Amino acid sequence: MRQVLYDMRLVVDSREHESAQDIETFVLAAGSDYRAYEVLRKLQSRGICIRNLILFEFTERLEQIELGDSYGDYSRFVADKIVKIGCSIRNPKSSLGDLLSNQSAFIDRTVSLDISCFTKPFFFYLLKLFKERFRLQRIDVFYTEPLSYLFPRGIFSSYHSTLGPLTILEIPGFSGLEQRGEKRILVILLGFDGDLARGINEDVSPSEVVAVNGFPGYAPKFKDISLIANEKLTSDRDVVVVYSRANNPFEVFNLLEKISIQSSGAFINIAPLGTKPMALGACLFALHNPSSRVVYPFPESYLRVTTDRCWNSWKYEIPLVLDVSNGNNGP
Amino acid sequence: MMRDSYRNPFSGTNAVTLDDQAILVYWCSPFAYRLFSEIKENDIFEDPNNIVFMGGRSTGKTMFLRYWSFPVQMKLAQNFKQSHGKKVFEYFKMMGGIGYYIRVDGLVLRSFSGFGIDIEKWNSIFVHYLELIIGRAYVESIKAINDEGEIDQVELQSQFIPQVASLVGNTSVKNLEGLLNELDARIREVDVYRGNIPFYNEEFRPKIGFASQSLSFGIPRIAKRTLKVFKDDTKFVLLIDEYENFLEHQQRVVNTMLRFTTSDIKLRIGMRLEGFRTTSMISSDDFIKEGREYRKVVFEEVLIKDQGYQDFLREVSRKRLEGVRIFKEKGKTNIVEFLSNSEDLEQEAVEIVSKNPNKILDFFNKHIPSDSMVMVQHKANPLLGLLNILWLLRGVSPEETRHAMEKYLKGDWQDEKAKKYRMDYIDKYKLSLMFVLCSIYRRNKKYYSFNTFSFLSSGIIGNFIELCRRAFQYAEFEDKEGLVVHARISKEQQNKAAMDVSESELQQLIRIEEHGSRIYKFICNLGNVFRDFHKDERIRYPETNQFTVDSNTIAPEDCRRAFSAAIKWSAIQRKSRLQQPAPGKHLRDIFTINRIYCPSFQISYRTRGGYSVPLLPKDIELFMSNENVDSKPFVPKKKDDQDDDQFTMDLFGKE
Repeated sequence: MRQVLYDMRLVVDSREHESAQDIETFVLAAGSDYRAYEVLRKLQSRGICIRNLILFEFTERLEQIELGDSYGDYSRFVADKIVKIGCSIRNPKSSLGDLLSNQSAFIDRTVSLDISCFTKPFFFYLLKLFKERFRLQRIDVFYTEPLSYLFPRGIFSSYHSTLGPLTILEIPGFSGLEQRGEKRILVILLGFDGDLARGINEDVSPSEVVAVNGFPGYAPKFKDISLIANEKLTSDRDVVVVYSRANNPFEVFNLLEKISIQSSGAFINIAPLGTKPMALGACLFALHNPSSRVVYPFPESYLRVTTDRCWNSWKYEIPLVLDVSNGNNGP
Repeated sequence: MMRDSYRNPFSGTNAVTLDDQAILVYWCSPFAYRLFSEIKENDIFEDPNNIVFMGGRSTGKTMFLRYWSFPVQMKLAQNFKQSHGKKVFEYFKMMGGIGYYIRVDGLVLRSFSGFGIDIEKWNSIFVHYLELIIGRAYVESIKAINDEGEIDQVELQSQFIPQVASLVGNTSVKNLEGLLNELDARIREVDVYRGNIPFYNEEFRPKIGFASQSLSFGIPRIAKRTLKVFKDDTKFVLLIDEYENFLEHQQRVVNTMLRFTTSDIKLRIGMRLEGFRTTSMISSDDFIKEGREYRKVVFEEVLIKDQGYQDFLREVSRKRLEGVRIFKEKGKTNIVEFLSNSEDLEQEAVEIVSKNPNKILDFFNKHIPSDSMVMVQHKANPLLGLLNILWLLRGVSPEETRHAMEKYLKGDWQDEKAKKYRMDYIDKYKLSLMFVLCSIYRRNKKYYSFNTFSFLSSGIIGNFIELCRRAFQYAEFEDKEGLVVHARISKEQQNKAAMDVSESELQQLIRIEEHGSRIYKFICNLGNVFRDFHKDERIRYPETNQFTVDSNTIAPEDCRRAFSAAIKWSAIQRKSRLQQPAPGKHLRDIFTINRIYCPSFQISYRTRGGYSVPLLPKDIELFMSNENVDSKPFVPKKKDDQDDDQFTMDLFGKE
């Protein structure tokens, strides 16, 4: 069994401070969430220099900017060079041309990616692109936890981070390879939106479902909110509920590896509806298991702001290529 | 013991995921319950027309199509072989054909678009892919029949395999497994391309390309030509499921197949109502048409014409209850025993008024003298008291009202007033009175009983199963002993289940991929209009929950499409034939709100058919564009010149 011995550190951790080095390329999504530039702020406060800032500007978000919006605050943090990539949040491939024309910022560089304000499909796409086309061996992924999510209809009503109708799609580049006669397994990393999980379950129509609840969560109540919101799914007799730490991608990776081995020969579908670190673990698994499929609901648009203030910022060292020669590997 | 042998009999409902044996276990033939008047069982294989099966989500289409598919029928064929000592192929000959179930999941279908590739190129790739999927299904079935030793090996080796191998572009293939591997490899080419296209701007270059019908029609032709077992009139029947998920360019591919089917190859297609995105075909200006290329069978009937549907639900439930050991052992396999047959409205009414019996009098005291109301009061049955007040409101004297009630209570059917009173109470107003009572006391009506659940399900079996699943879940949580030992689910538990399912279904509307928000607003506004009718203490339009509109004139285009989507998702249901919206009016299309939403709006789950709210296209637009539309303009102040007396129905019986 492949396992990732993980390395995740608090960005403000003192050891991190001691070993802090300048960053060659830092990839960031511009946004209006309070946490959008938290990592930038922390890095700057410790005097870490970013040589290339690759800034994704989504047309959909630009249209939503309000007066006094914090969207443009990235300009307060100095970078030697800012490259803006204008593209559509719904179509990751719309960034391909600009990224290829700036590939010198990636190839043979140490690259960091802040996923806090990227949508999940988008950072899945970027990680695969970095692996497949820029041949990166590893990448540092940063993530800032929200202090809380916004629940406009109360915590036990459905939390929605999206607007309007949803289309459930394969994440571009993660369509998997289903073999004839294979059993379908669906692993849902549970979020707060129970209707989504049900919709995906209907679309994928697996013979087995594993629901992964983020526990411990960012806050104790999140685990229960998630289970209550997903009650209809989890009460089904064919659904197994397991737990994995909400802020630890490596735990999710290891869990998925275990499921994959236990159900050898199954077509594994993953729906990363939970936290972004959990989704990052799913992405890591799918990168190393390309026959698995990742599915996700794509909305017409996202809400401008979905979280409230910041909690911890994390740095995860993500291996894009696993050396399986010694059975397991880590950064 | 109880813990080990109990599980919710109604959980786990998706026919797509059931294995072949489970399909047989859960199968209830709709033909045995006269659910379809348009089709006979042997039409599945023998009807020379193509057939389109239409119905909402969870109406049982997938179960139906999968039952006729090769792997499930093969199990029956093997049983036939054992019991009759005949070959399995004899069974398929007896059935008239072999069914090939084809379901391409929506996620895969939707991946054949975008990434800067023009739609015609995607269409070619999809045609290629679909041909391979169908081709593989044929070869798998022939391999399974060959494994039974029923195919002549000389024919197979010297003719069938070489010819199919040539068709798929690899003449080195020597056996059926090799053919399957070859088809798998070609399918994999498509899957790899779908995975790579987001990162590369490259053309799809398969080892060999397949045009429409090359394999789907080509392999049956070869089988017919080369294998004796196929040489009679055994048909190849493609059972294509979830057609509504096919993108427009993909539907054109299937439509083209519909047009060109031969006497040996037929299509049976399962889809949602309004599931056609297009009637066009691949490469011409031609289009398909009902009656010419296919005939239509509707799964979802608005009206429950007879006991057949309820009997069917009982049988579906029996099979599920039998699957739970403790219920099977105790012989508790009749769902009616758990839910009770029908509501006890009188008891419900007594519970509602118990804390404040005079509230009814207070409510009406502006309109009717107190002494008159006291004279017609019936303390043991508040619904009778309320009916009496209704009579007073309609100008009948207190004495006459009281006399009619007393004669009714004595069962004196010689008395004309007693007969009229009985008709008013039992056949016409009992449920309406209950809604008015709830409105006066600001309490919610309870939705419970087998009869109520079957009405709420609106002809959608999945709705009924979900209502039961929730009810069993509440009962398990709140009173497991009552459930497991006494087969009892309280009306409160049932009501909570009904409210949950109703609210959940309502919220699901927002998530409908296209026009979800419009449909949600439309249903909410419509439900609130109907709600106002139910609050009318004069009960001028009892149990109004349907409307009429000329759907062809709905504008703008977005609203017209949203209206179609509302039908497709069974949010509203079109009655199967034109009807009068009110007595004396011209025949029109009548629509009902899906009755699963009735608990959310506190309206009747029945369709009486007395009055249909006439809506104009601009009303539909208003309902779809605005939240909280004022209901008042849609509720007439005075009753039309209609005679409501001509509309009668048994409260718990037929519509």
